[in-house]
Amino acid sequence: MAGEILVPTKGGKASDDAVTLACTLARSRKSKIRIIHVIEVERTLPLDAELEPELRRGEEVLSRAERIGRENNCPVETELLQAREVGPAIVDEASERGVDLIIMGIDYKRRFGEFELGKTVPYVLKHAPCQVWLCREAAG
Amino acid sequence: MYIIVIGGGKVGYYLTKTLLAEGHEVLVIEKDARKCETIAEELGSIVLRGDGCEVRTLAEAGCNRADMLIAVTGHDEDNLVACQVGKHKFQVPRTVARVNNPKNANIFEILGVETTISSTDLILAHIEHELPTHPLIHLLTLKGIGLEIVELKIPADSAVVGRRIRDIPLPSDSVLALIISKSKGAQVPGGDTVLAVGDEVIAVTKPENEPALRVAFTHT
Repeated sequence: MAGEILVPTKGGKASDDAVTLACTLARSRKSKIRIIHVIEVERTLPLDAELEPELRRGEEVLSRAERIGRENNCPVETELLQAREVGPAIVDEASERGVDLIIMGIDYKRRFGEFELGKTVPYVLKHAPCQVWLCREAAG
Repeated sequence: MYIIVIGGGKVGYYLTKTLLAEGHEVLVIEKDARKCETIAEELGSIVLRGDGCEVRTLAEAGCNRADMLIAVTGHDEDNLVACQVGKHKFQVPRTVARVNNPKNANIFEILGVETTISSTDLILAHIEHELPTHPLIHLLTLKGIGLEIVELKIPADSAVVGRRIRDIPLPSDSVLALIISKSKGAQVPGGDTVLAVGDEVIAVTKPENEPALRVAFTHT
């Protein structure tokens, strides 16, 4: 089964695991992998503002993802995006490219003693036009 | 152009939709969570939940770089405050307010809101134009120079029928720009142009000279 897998990444262990999982899956499905990192731009700035520290960090995150792809013998395509909100940017990218699957790594986060998903993951789960797989890091 | 729209009701929604289609960057500020959700689902992530009268909300919205702020809530007081905060705190170059009660339009203008839009006045203007009960119709107000462009229709019993324009005493600061007659169409009037029944006269005048202009052309 060909097609494209979209992996939004923000860096960290969970994102690395998501890229590794995408590589394994892509090899068996003969799919392409597209890895994106979204920089959230505050509304006080224009959308195309040059945010040097964020750009540098985003490039590091994508380089790391490319390295994981190479280690898994799986070529990956990467792109740095700027958007007002991460969730809609991921969904828009998935819709525009007609991807078959989104794989997202999520941290095990607690807030006031309760497990929390944040706002990006629920948005993608609710609005993505394709399958969404979550790869949660181990608890604790 | 970056445009902030305060109020995500019907007016705000369709205004935003049109402005987005024209290629502008638009952000809607709306208090109601349900309306925010609807706008976000329909138009994308271009909505911020909050009170558009609050400095904090406008700062978060990037009011400092906005080219225009348009306040279209159903409350005149909110529209006025939002425009005032945008203008004086964030130096937004242009503010536009919806005026629900036409009596408030003057207050908005005195307080520096450049453009006010009253749906009541708009409907009245259309009624004036469509129903031939008003001899003088406002076409345009040139705010910067204190002039108005008006249209007068010459009634059958007017004293100016059959007279040359040079013989009609016009109020000061009033200029006849165009005469539209059924027989000759549009023509630039000269001193020898003779007026006929049903001619439409387009004139530029000062608001205070409007009654005198109306009398000059419609008096029997």
